[in-house]
Amino acid sequence: MAKNGRGTSGNPARAAEQQLTVKQQREANRQAKLAEYQAQLKKRQRGKLVWWAVGSVAVLAVVAAIVASYAFAPRYAEYAEGGSGAEIEGVETFENTTNHVEVGTDVDYPQSPSAGGEHYPLWLNCGIYTEPQQDEYATHSMEHGAVWLTYDPAQVSEDDIATLESITPRTYAILSPYEDMDSPISIQAWNAQLKVDDADDPRLAEFFEEYWRNENVPEPGSACTGAYDGPGKA
Amino acid sequence: MTRADADRAPARARRPWPLIVFVLVLVAGGAFAAGRFSAFDATMAPNPADIGFARDMQVHHAQAVEMALIEYRATQDDELRVVAYDIATGQQAQNGEMYGWLVQWKLPQRGSEPLMAWMQGTEHDHGGAVTPQATEDELREAMGMATDEELERLRETAGTTQGDCLFTDLMIRHHTGALEMIAAVRELGSVPRVLQTAEAMADTQQREIDVLRSAQTRLGCG
Repeated sequence: MAKNGRGTSGNPARAAEQQLTVKQQREANRQAKLAEYQAQLKKRQRGKLVWWAVGSVAVLAVVAAIVASYAFAPRYAEYAEGGSGAEIEGVETFENTTNHVEVGTDVDYPQSPSAGGEHYPLWLNCGIYTEPQQDEYATHSMEHGAVWLTYDPAQVSEDDIATLESITPRTYAILSPYEDMDSPISIQAWNAQLKVDDADDPRLAEFFEEYWRNENVPEPGSACTGAYDGPGKA
Repeated sequence: MTRADADRAPARARRPWPLIVFVLVLVAGGAFAAGRFSAFDATMAPNPADIGFARDMQVHHAQAVEMALIEYRATQDDELRVVAYDIATGQQAQNGEMYGWLVQWKLPQRGSEPLMAWMQGTEHDHGGAVTPQATEDELREAMGMATDEELERLRETAGTTQGDCLFTDLMIRHHTGALEMIAAVRELGSVPRVLQTAEAMADTQQREIDVLRSAQTRLGCG
């Protein structure tokens, strides 16, 4: 039916119109594709921006959480020693037994003054004594967490004794003379001992802080009252 | 192939390693912070008031136990014997708990500071008696504790009405001193169990003061 292949209409005017329409359609297609591309580009750019924002917020949040985990951390209690005595120079530690022996038995102690071992069923009531005390009673007090501070009366002055009195705690501590010691002053707790020459030695206070009512004694928390008052209790 | 397709094709082919590393670092950082937060333990972070209270109240309680046992052993008064039993067993148990706090905190039972130094500057400083210059005896007296002479008198008179009256006097004074220390730690302390224990102590000791006062009236103490 169609005699010319350029159009479906035999009418040339109509054919031109048709051609124009095809051109226009191509142009319209091109425009549409461009618009789509631009829209996609815009979308991708917007998407990129959103991801940058999300990423930055996430980084800030994590950094803030880490900073807060330090800033708001509880301050835990700190103490360097804690029963080992390692920090106090000159402290000797031992492993002694805890058996009871009858009152009157003479115990041969590996340390002098005693720093733990066999002892009488009665403990020496804590306090300040002006006369020497038996190791067998005082050892039981140390088993309860007391610290025993001794001085050799032949090697210290009255002033030294007054100094020792002033640093002796009013509970769970015994101060007494002890004759023929190998140092002027000796301080002992269960399984620990320190010998010093000088009543002003700062290690005495450190020893009290470290060993007074220490949790490593055989009977922590037991009393140092209500038993035996030795001679010369002030 | 359009330009947009041409842009996308190579991106699809390679893995976004920088993004993966970035996300992993973020997750690791978040986990690190979360781990630190979950390890926070307020019960293990005592402040100076918690620590001072755990130490000083043990010294204080130990004397109450000693006085109550003297009274328990000798008194002829059935009511006071029960009160003494209650004080001795109750305060000894509380002492054990306070001892345990310090063990848990890995702190020694004795501090390098004097008694009650942690209460200095509060309105509960026993009327300003807490100063760095005060001796241990003065501080113990400020805490309402009995002197050696008073304890000796208690031992000598125990079992008589006079002894009962002395016991009630000394114990009321002792408890009153404790209430000040308790008020101070309730104001300054931080560990929840310390505050809870302090509150319970305040109730108990106030109630015991009332019981001791009514015993004084019944016995006709001067």
